[in-house]
Amino acid sequence: MERWHVVTAVVLGYLLLTLVIGLLAGRRVSESVEGYVAADRQFGLLTMYFITGATIFSAFAFLGGPGWIYSRGGAAFYILSYGVLGIAPWYFIGPKAGRLGRRFGFVTQAQLVAGRFPSRGLSALFALITVAAFVPYLMVQMSGAGIVFNVVTEGHVSFEAGAALAYGVVLIYVLSGGVSAVGWTNVFQGIVMMVLAWALGLYIPTHLYGGIGDMFDRLVEARPELLTAPGLDAAGRPWSWGAYSSAVLSSAVGFVMWPHLFMKSFTSRDDETLRRTVVLFPTFQLFLIPLFLVGFAGVLFGSAPETPDHIMPHIVLSTGLPALVVGLFCAGGLAASMSTGDGLLHGAASIAVEDGLLPFVKLNDSQRRFLMRALVVGVGALAYYLAIVQKQSLVALLLMGYGLIDQLAPPVYAALFWRRATTPGVLAGLCAGIATNVFFLVRADLRPFDIHEGILGMIVNAAVLVAVSLATRPQPAEHADAFVSAPEYPMRKGVGVRT
Amino acid sequence: MSVATARRLAIAFFVLQAVAVTYPGFVPFSRIEPRVLGLPFALVWPTAWIVVSGLVLWALHAVESRRRED
Repeated sequence: MERWHVVTAVVLGYLLLTLVIGLLAGRRVSESVEGYVAADRQFGLLTMYFITGATIFSAFAFLGGPGWIYSRGGAAFYILSYGVLGIAPWYFIGPKAGRLGRRFGFVTQAQLVAGRFPSRGLSALFALITVAAFVPYLMVQMSGAGIVFNVVTEGHVSFEAGAALAYGVVLIYVLSGGVSAVGWTNVFQGIVMMVLAWALGLYIPTHLYGGIGDMFDRLVEARPELLTAPGLDAAGRPWSWGAYSSAVLSSAVGFVMWPHLFMKSFTSRDDETLRRTVVLFPTFQLFLIPLFLVGFAGVLFGSAPETPDHIMPHIVLSTGLPALVVGLFCAGGLAASMSTGDGLLHGAASIAVEDGLLPFVKLNDSQRRFLMRALVVGVGALAYYLAIVQKQSLVALLLMGYGLIDQLAPPVYAALFWRRATTPGVLAGLCAGIATNVFFLVRADLRPFDIHEGILGMIVNAAVLVAVSLATRPQPAEHADAFVSAPEYPMRKGVGVRT
Repeated sequence: MSVATARRLAIAFFVLQAVAVTYPGFVPFSRIEPRVLGLPFALVWPTAWIVVSGLVLWALHAVESRRRED
């Protein structure tokens, strides 16, 4: 038996196990929209911890992290810095959103914002931004699965077939089990991903160079420019501090604004679970370190991969690791890709129905669930088609996604914290923010200090929001108060407010 | 410590961190020496902030839990 046979067998076994877990988990919740989208609001700490971690750590972290270190050195340190800064606000806004969700029955971010600022246009705008940002993100995940499969089977399984196989499994469990399947498969996949990352990150530098310290000794001699921030840009020239800093800040602000993550506020059992998830999150963040070590190991490695994103599978294959370990690595890569991709698929479909359609068309519970499932297939097929057909525009699309998601921050913060904010203010701000963001995306040469377009858009967005709100009639105090001063601690540990 | 004070301190900590890991706070620490466990200092610096963040969040949560039980 050849090595790639063993590798493929391990991977197929892994996919099968994931599928079984997903199908079993789906049977635990009710047949309703609240069950399909918010898991009947019953996720505990274990599920929330891994769902948060696995949702964030995608194929981008698993392949792109080492790839960035390999080609751009310290520029990749920005990925390390934004996660904790990004999750910290969730300690305050997560429980508050969750509480409002339990009270008013919200299952999406847009429902919360449109609950405070009643406007169907606002709701539809949120849905549009979400889908526009999710499709390219999903394409990246599918490509990641394809790359891992293709490289570790030494080309015997094509990129297209690998991506189709992994996402076929995702499709089945998301269709049948909704967010509950997403949550429980993320627990399993999160564990696989973390164990694999730490094992490989500590093993490879030791195996190749005798130890982590020894590896860096050689790097200090050979490529010192890779060892400090802000590192290099894509072309290998020194990167600017402006671009590095605003990459950290725009990602940090956008972090919990990603609708598939924000929506998870509504899946949690109570406030306490959400707070503990945030407290534990830094332990997940540290898992980037071993991935970075693999990237550094690649710099000194004799042979070069096809593209920087292939460095991780390239090293794993070339260091003579046993086939079983290579198969497990492949499983880890697929775990990273699938555990993010499932949430994106599920999120895009739920949001398109709940926020894009429901405000305009009357639909009952079972029609909504049917449409969500139809859209899971539709969005999945679209992203798969785009991932295969046009790989070049991927980076540009993804960057646009981040900038767009940043624009959701001012409306969400205004809804939760500012009594004087008004519906026209929020709408005007959002439109101005999107316009600014798109303008500086297209005319990158006009950006002041190389600052990320998402940040520039957000500044304009917030300024317009405040100005127009102050110029328009305030909301009734009672209405605004229901959102801004949602009672802080009305419950004992573990007991949610249900009305 | 009251919950309000603890929250204010935690927010101040994260604002400080935002400056410390970007321009200009990171500039004096973005260097190779001193190495810690073999790692260059520019990698140790953001990592240390993650570890301390975990402790700060844990402390904030501890203060809040105690207050809530009162």
